[in-house]
Amino acid sequence: MEEIRKKLDKILLKALKPARYIGGEIGSVVKERDKVDVRFAFCFPDTYDVGMSHLGMKILYGLKNAVPNWWCERVFMPEHDFEKLMRDNGIPLYGLESLDPIKDFDFIGFTLQYELSFNNVLQMLDLAGVPVLSKDRKGLTPIVVGGGPCVCNPEPMADFFDIFILGEGEEVNLELLRLYEKMKSEGTDKESFLRAAAGIEGIYVPGFYDVEYNDDGTVSSIVPNVPEAPEKIRKRVITDLDGVYYPESFVVPFSEIVHDRSVVEVLRGCIRGCRFCQAGFIYRPFREKNIDTIKSETKCLCEQTGYEEVSLSSLSTSDHTRINDLLLSLSDYTDGEKINLSLPSLRLDSFNEELLERIQAVRKSGLTFAPEAGTQRLRDVINKNITEEEIMSTCRMAFEWGYTQVKLYFMLGLPEETDEDVRGIAELAEKILQLYYDTPKEKRGRSVQIAVSTATFVPKPFTPFEFEPQATPEEIMHKQEVLRSAVKSPKKIRLSMHFQNTSILEAVLARGDRRLCKVIFDAWKKGCYMDSWDEYFNFALWQEAFEENGIDMGFYADRRRSYDETAPWSHLDYLVSRDFLIRENKKAHRAITTRNCKEGCSGCGIGADMGGVYCGGKNASAQKR
Amino acid sequence: MAEKMLQPKNVDLRLERFDRRIVYEKCGRAKYISHLDLMRAMQRAIKRAGLPVWYTQGFNPHIYLMFPLTLSLGFESRVEVMDLALLEDMPFEETVRRLDAQMSEGMRIVSCALPVHKHTEITHAGYKIRFTADRSPEECRGLFEEFLARDKIEIEKRTKKKTANIVDIRPFIDVREISCGGDGVCLDLLLPAGGSFSLNANVVIETFFEMYGLECDELCIERTKILIANGKLFT
Repeated sequence: MEEIRKKLDKILLKALKPARYIGGEIGSVVKERDKVDVRFAFCFPDTYDVGMSHLGMKILYGLKNAVPNWWCERVFMPEHDFEKLMRDNGIPLYGLESLDPIKDFDFIGFTLQYELSFNNVLQMLDLAGVPVLSKDRKGLTPIVVGGGPCVCNPEPMADFFDIFILGEGEEVNLELLRLYEKMKSEGTDKESFLRAAAGIEGIYVPGFYDVEYNDDGTVSSIVPNVPEAPEKIRKRVITDLDGVYYPESFVVPFSEIVHDRSVVEVLRGCIRGCRFCQAGFIYRPFREKNIDTIKSETKCLCEQTGYEEVSLSSLSTSDHTRINDLLLSLSDYTDGEKINLSLPSLRLDSFNEELLERIQAVRKSGLTFAPEAGTQRLRDVINKNITEEEIMSTCRMAFEWGYTQVKLYFMLGLPEETDEDVRGIAELAEKILQLYYDTPKEKRGRSVQIAVSTATFVPKPFTPFEFEPQATPEEIMHKQEVLRSAVKSPKKIRLSMHFQNTSILEAVLARGDRRLCKVIFDAWKKGCYMDSWDEYFNFALWQEAFEENGIDMGFYADRRRSYDETAPWSHLDYLVSRDFLIRENKKAHRAITTRNCKEGCSGCGIGADMGGVYCGGKNASAQKR
Repeated sequence: MAEKMLQPKNVDLRLERFDRRIVYEKCGRAKYISHLDLMRAMQRAIKRAGLPVWYTQGFNPHIYLMFPLTLSLGFESRVEVMDLALLEDMPFEETVRRLDAQMSEGMRIVSCALPVHKHTEITHAGYKIRFTADRSPEECRGLFEEFLARDKIEIEKRTKKKTANIVDIRPFIDVREISCGGDGVCLDLLLPAGGSFSLNANVVIETFFEMYGLECDELCIERTKILIANGKLFT
């Protein structure tokens, strides 16, 4: 749009890093307006630097734009300085490709990646000039849709969205947009379209469900109020990762973003079942791409983007059934092209030395572990299948290789956690430090630094800990004190601990119900957004909003739920059975571990027809494909 | 072990290189790309173009690229220069064609040739400035002439030591033309660039706005030429 373009030319140079607001990057898709029938604004409710790093957006952007008469554009949350410039100059939120206002688009889609980005959705809709409440948007368009992991409990956002999309988006997005394209040409209205959309598997129209509450504040029932809406909405799963769409190119940003590299997804789901980890449950089953697919996607992406770094993405890359072959085969290509192959979330102990040598030849960074808990007992409680022996043997190897930095990640406030477990964190760090001193001088690096960082545990839906209370701020403060006084070598072991009120808010929103919509709305009206940014988070305003609505945060954050309580998300089916979660919760309290999928099926409820590598007894007992 | 880690990755040393001077255009949307971002974007474009480029020979090999002058954020230019080195004697036209195909909107590869001058020979650059403000073009033009008629135009210039020096910039502003066009004023000027002393066109225009309390509405600055000591074009 010429008008916005002209206005932008006048203000862009006043903004920090203006390249983020003008589009035009290599790989961005520009189409002719009059040849396009469906326009989709893909909004990431955080800044460009964060959003542009997100793989899901790259996939769905490419997927929709591959259809000639659909046009998907990118939209991000402007930083405060630019947001003010936009408002002062009457510039509504626009798509980065066309620079057209998104309020005129057919769809405005948000990906809900973390709870603290919820209020950015309201802020972005408002900046776009679109009413934030679904009921105030009477026309057919724009239809506001949401996807991403937080949609496994989208209830606190139910009032703002017309549609939620559950699970993996590659197929259901196409189905939804095809339906829309057809109905729009026939002249439909919003209600009719939503009713038809509700019939698509994975599509959840929150307005078609009535929620009733018990006297004690818990949910009593969630019932559809139109015949088209199913009682349970099932998440979508891509059963064949080799056949599914994967982008051939990325939009290559000018300004540096958080993850500025090619990213190739190697597998989805996780076999490990750590009980605190939401991703480990909601992305089940474990599926993988074969080596040829990964290799050709890597080559194609690197050639199309010109990136000199490629990263393999997954929840746990070393769980690929043919990880050694994969890395050997990939590094043949990347070495030749001087491309840096980076491998986050790897378990080093599973590799032979030759392979390590080849990968490490590129760039040597620190070593990172996430033991999550300080003692074996507590690691058994959370089913974190990493033993002290494994940590030690990897560290020994790493120190002999000249590594000097070890980062350790832990959580505080886990269920069943005692002061002994907290002290165990410090003891583990001290043991690793001692291991460094025990490494022969001629082998080890010159000095050592062990960074211990702790986060506060937040119980999430669809995990065995969804029933658990979050530790109170007082409890966390006590645990932090115990930990601090247990560290004997504070010069070599650097502790970073934060209990922020953000963890409380995150816990409330994660397991919240629809009564929180009003709180979110009020908090937003008071000026709360960009809550994941420390400099903008204002807990006092949030507290005000809760108080004014007569809602107690503790009810959501630190209350233990009984197994028979109706969860606010109980009408959503993420395929993992509730019985399994209850079983796992009970085992956690007895510190009994559960084997991983590779060792044998534990009956989580995922069917054998979902493409899972190990589901239905396939490939069990460490067999290689 | 230690010896192994100290070995540079780029061990197949290639000593023969063919130096090339590329002239490129940076206009429109591309004027918002910062210099640092531009360097990255060019490296990626070279990679996409599949040019047989020479890599630096250190521990952390990267594509050899040199920019004799930086172009300030927001400036347009059709005469920007960057040097690179090839591993083979590729024809100039092919280099232009392949690299140009990888440019984003607003960027264009104009030419490729052998470098003639050294970067240190650059002394001046020419700029076209067009602005509109909260006064009529004629008024602005009059004020700018008054600005130039001053004996001294003193500004604070930050030094590398983070202290500020007072510098008289008037002697360095070489105005070739002032005219009114449409609703704005057009200036054509030469300013020192590269080497020991350079003066940013933005600084000149902002000093002017500030001195006369003008509210700038639109401002377009284009670098039009890069010159060496005798007033010849840098090539």
